[in-house]
Amino acid sequence: MPSRSMFLRILWKLLGASRGRLAVALIALTSGAAVCSALLNVNLDAERKLTQEFRTLGANVVIAPPAGGSEVPLADAAVLDRITAMHILQIVATAPYLYVAANSGTQPVILAGTWFDQVARMNSWWKLEGGGVSSRDDHEHCLVGFTAARQLGLAPGSSIQLRSGDREISLTVAGIVTTGGAEDNQILTNLDSAQALAGLPGRVSLVQVSVAGTPAEIEGVTRKLVNNLPGLDVRPVRQIAAAEGTILGRIRGLIFWTIALILILSMLGVLASMAALAMERRRDVGLMKALGGTVQRIMRLFLVEAGTLGAVGGLLGFLLGVVLARWMGERIFGVAISPRLEVLPITIALTIGVALAGAFPLRLLGRVRPAEILRGE
Amino acid sequence: MMAPVVQVEQLEKRFGEVRALDHVSFDVDPGEWIAIMGPSGSGKTTLINILGGLDHPSAGRVVVDGLEIGNLGERELTRYRADKIGFVFQQFHLIPYLSALENVMLAQYFHSITDEKEAAEALCRVGLSDRLGHVPSELSGGEQQRVAIARALINQPKLILADEPTGNLDEANEAIVLKLLRELHAAGHTILVVTHSQAIGNLADRRVELEHGRLVRISSPSLAKE
Repeated sequence: MPSRSMFLRILWKLLGASRGRLAVALIALTSGAAVCSALLNVNLDAERKLTQEFRTLGANVVIAPPAGGSEVPLADAAVLDRITAMHILQIVATAPYLYVAANSGTQPVILAGTWFDQVARMNSWWKLEGGGVSSRDDHEHCLVGFTAARQLGLAPGSSIQLRSGDREISLTVAGIVTTGGAEDNQILTNLDSAQALAGLPGRVSLVQVSVAGTPAEIEGVTRKLVNNLPGLDVRPVRQIAAAEGTILGRIRGLIFWTIALILILSMLGVLASMAALAMERRRDVGLMKALGGTVQRIMRLFLVEAGTLGAVGGLLGFLLGVVLARWMGERIFGVAISPRLEVLPITIALTIGVALAGAFPLRLLGRVRPAEILRGE
Repeated sequence: MMAPVVQVEQLEKRFGEVRALDHVSFDVDPGEWIAIMGPSGSGKTTLINILGGLDHPSAGRVVVDGLEIGNLGERELTRYRADKIGFVFQQFHLIPYLSALENVMLAQYFHSITDEKEAAEALCRVGLSDRLGHVPSELSGGEQQRVAIARALINQPKLILADEPTGNLDEANEAIVLKLLRELHAAGHTILVVTHSQAIGNLADRRVELEHGRLVRISSPSLAKE
């Protein structure tokens, strides 16, 4: 019989004889591998999902006329038609803004004329008290920023008169909006109303664009806009990209350290089982050495045993991890995390590594002196 | 005249201040049965451990089949045990989760390659043809010792070293094991048996008697009987 068959025969018997202790080690390995696999799946898939989520966090490209002179530069609203005509699929929303310095009574206030339907799509996280405005053709209502509403004493349903020069408009407050940004100090209304109040028909201060996709895709859309909109500044909003990078980096770091900690804890579990197993196997190792078994040959047996345990634990852990990742995805991101096959070899390799590290007490058995063991010491 | 298979010259073994073996010298011829006798603590097991390559001598010279084992490193001693020695222990020392057949094959595995048929034949020779698949806990003490004897023989060792092989057996099993040892001797095997038993001592060609680590007498029971 080839030696390999005998090796496998001994290995099989060894696994059967120590099944109690090995089961404990297997549970430790499987649990560690499950968390590890779940986190790796979440990490890989969540990155994509988070990127999509970030895309809903406002504009990431701003188009504005170049600064110059003492006048506030304005663009032609026809730019919006040109953007639409480009048929760029990655563009989620396009919102023009015209900022008008106006007065409510004696209080100065900034009025921002925009398209409410696009603003709503671009800024889904805005908190709204009262009702929203969903149509870009609604000329009667406005949204008031939280700070501005407090200063002007406005609440949903209030009426407000705005004046700019000799022009006036009257609006009803539909809702109070909290954005955490400049909009908190502004009154948002329909673009046409703002243009009429400012006496600037067909003009906009800037256009905000929300582009979905990876940083490379956003860069590509930006380039396309630059090429097709000569005479205008097209700028990606770097802060959001940087914040996104920072948050993803932190999540990745958190996942890495959590995996490291879990693997260390698994290793300690395996170590405890293997230490007990090593005590039980001292006599067998002493005998094997007395029969002419080399340390390498005996250790190979134990290391393959530990490796097998690691591989089985890794495979079971991967499968459990997929279920766990799905559950975490649904709970945390509200989406199903799709299992990533590349996580399988990583999980198995890590678990085998943990099992081999945890088998350290068995490796110490190489030092057993057969004469002492056979004497019964 | 054939060269001795074992030469022990001025062998010393110290454990700290304790001298377990003190200038012990004797030879063993091929095919000889030697009984190593003496009271507890006289150094019998220490002597057999050194001859079996399980322990190192502190001084002196031990040559087995032309190999001076006092100079061997751990790796070479392991090879020496696999190639030249067959052990039979008082406590049998079988691997509990392996069957009788696999326990014999384990010695083959560490020696070279395994041969299941040959291992089964070795067990048949010791009368265990119907116990091949039994694990040690399913065997009686005598049967376990017979497995150990089959294991000791499987690689055709130069030397069979038995430490109190009947120490844990009842009379019936002792008789079976002694019969096996006699058969091995008759077949030309060189056997060194550590024993307290005068009966076993009387079966040997020569008796090496130790006291406090010193060799006090080498006698020949067969000549005494004549």
